[in-house]
Amino acid sequence: MVWVNAIVQGLMLGGLFALFACGLSLLFGVVGVINLAHGDFAVLGAYVAVALLPSVHTNALWALLFVPPIFAVFGYGAQRTVLQRSLDTGPLTTLLVTFGLSVVIQNALLEGFSADSHSLSVGALATSAFHPAHGVVVPYLRLAILLTAVAVLGSVQLLLARTSVGRQIRAVADDPEAASVSGVSTRHITGIAAGIAFATVAVAGLAFGMYAQFAPTTGSTWLLYAFEAVIVGGLGSLWGTLAGGCVLGLAQTIGEQIAPTAGTLAVQLVFLAMLAVRPTGLFPARVAV
Amino acid sequence: MTDAALLQLNAVSKRFGQVVVADGLSFSVDAGATLGIVGPNGAGKTSLFGMISGDLPVDSGDIEFDGRSVVGIGTAERCRLGITRTFQVPRPFDGLTVFENVLVAAQQGGGLRRAAAVDAALAALAETGLADRANMMAGQLGLLARKRLEVARGLSTQPRLLLLDEVAGGLTDPEVAELVAIVRRINGAGIAVVWIEHVVRALLSTVDRLICLALGKLIADGNPREVLGRPEVKELFLGTESAIAGDRPERVSEPVSEPAIDPAGGNP
Repeated sequence: MVWVNAIVQGLMLGGLFALFACGLSLLFGVVGVINLAHGDFAVLGAYVAVALLPSVHTNALWALLFVPPIFAVFGYGAQRTVLQRSLDTGPLTTLLVTFGLSVVIQNALLEGFSADSHSLSVGALATSAFHPAHGVVVPYLRLAILLTAVAVLGSVQLLLARTSVGRQIRAVADDPEAASVSGVSTRHITGIAAGIAFATVAVAGLAFGMYAQFAPTTGSTWLLYAFEAVIVGGLGSLWGTLAGGCVLGLAQTIGEQIAPTAGTLAVQLVFLAMLAVRPTGLFPARVAV
Repeated sequence: MTDAALLQLNAVSKRFGQVVVADGLSFSVDAGATLGIVGPNGAGKTSLFGMISGDLPVDSGDIEFDGRSVVGIGTAERCRLGITRTFQVPRPFDGLTVFENVLVAAQQGGGLRRAAAVDAALAALAETGLADRANMMAGQLGLLARKRLEVARGLSTQPRLLLLDEVAGGLTDPEVAELVAIVRRINGAGIAVVWIEHVVRALLSTVDRLICLALGKLIADGNPREVLGRPEVKELFLGTESAIAGDRPERVSEPVSEPAIDPAGGNP
C-alpha cells in the first residue's frame, strides 16, 4: 500500500509541476520567449498575494480572484514593451533580458520582504485529508492543486483549439508575417498570449505558496522542474506538459519511497533517461500550440 | 494617374544598403483591373509587394490606397482596408486546418463574424478547389494545394486588391491552367489583381496590362504583348530566354548590369 500511496502522492505533486510549467510552455511555444524569470514571476505572484491580502490570516484562496488578472494585464504589458523588443532584437536577447528580470525580481523581493520565508494561509484546507484506502492519504489541498492544473491546462488548450483568439494565437505562432497579411494584429495577439501565460504563472505561484514556504530566491529552483516537465511532456503540447509534470512527480515520490533522500535524484535520472531515449518528449506537438 | 485609381504609387524608393529594390517607382492600378509584373530576379518585384502590403517600410515616396496614404499603416490594418498578398513560397499556417487558415483570414482580414465568416471561408475554399480538404492540416498539403491555399486565404480577407507572388511557379501546365481560371474568376468578381509571374503564358492569358521592373525601376508599362515586344524588355527578359535557346550564348551567365537595363540608354 505504500507504493499505491507513493503513486497517488506523485500524481498530485505532478499536478503542481504541470500547473507551474504551463506558463513556461505557453510563453515558449506561442510567443517564442524562453522565460528564465518564470520561477521568479511565480514567486512574485505569491508575494503580491502576501502584500495585498489584508492580514496573514486571511484565506489566501481569495488571492486567486485578483492576482491572476493583475498578472494577465502585467503580462500583456511586458510583452508589448520589454519582451517584444527583445524578440525583435534576436532570440538570445530574450534569454538575457529574462535572466536580468530574474535578478531584478529576486533582489526587489529581498529588499521589500527580506530573506525570511513566507507562506500563504489556506486555513483548514492546508491540513485536512481523506483516506480512500488504508495507508493512502489524500490531502485536500494537493488534490485541489491537481484538479486546478487539469482545469487550467484544459481550458487553455480549449481556448487555443476552439476560439477565434486561440486560432489567431496559433496562426501568429506559426507565421507572424503571414498572419498579419491575413489581417491579424500580431502584436496585440502575442500580448494576449503572454497575458494568458502570466495569469497561469500567477495561479501556479499561489498554489506553490499554499503548498510550501517560499523566499525571494525560491523561483530559480522551481524553474528547473518547470523546464523538465515541459521537455519530458514534449515541447508545444499542453497535455504533454501535464503528463510530463506527472512523470516527474511520480519519479519524486517513488524515489523517496526507495530512499528518503533519493526523490530529487530520481527526478533528474528520469529526465536524463527521457532525453536519451525520447528527446522529443512523450507527446511532441504535431502542431505548434 | 487618375483620381479613381485604387492603388497609386508615387516615387516610391527603397534600398537595402547598396541594393536598390525600388527607385522612384510610380504607377497606379484601377479598381477591378489586372496588372502583371515581370522582371529578372532581384528586380524588386517581391519587395514591391512587401511595401504595398505593409511588411516592408518605404524609404521615401507615397503609397495611396483608395485615395488615402497607407504609408505608416500596419500590415494588418492595410489588410482590413482591402490589400492582401500571397507569398512566393507558400506560407500556410501548418498547425491549423485548411479551413482554420481561411477562417482566420475571413474573421480578421475580412472583418466578418460567425456565420458570415464561415460562409466566406467555405466560399474561398470552393473557389480554389480545396473544399474537400478543409479538415486536413495545412502542413500536409502538397505544393499545388499550398499555392491554392495562399490564394484562398487572400481571397477570404475580402480584398479589393490581391497581390499574387508567383503562384504559378513550379506547377505543371494543367495546374497552371487551373490557377489561371481561378485568378480570372477572382478578377471577374471585381477584385483588382496584381500578379508577379515568371510563367509569362499564365500572365498573358490573364492580365490586361503588364509592367516590367529591373533594379527597382519601371522600364515598361502597357499592353502585355506590346510590352514584351519592346527591345529593352526583350533584352532583359526574353533575351536571356533566347540565350538559353542558344541564340546569344554570351548572355547566359552574364549578370544583369545597370546599363543593360537603363530605360533611357541603349546597350553597353
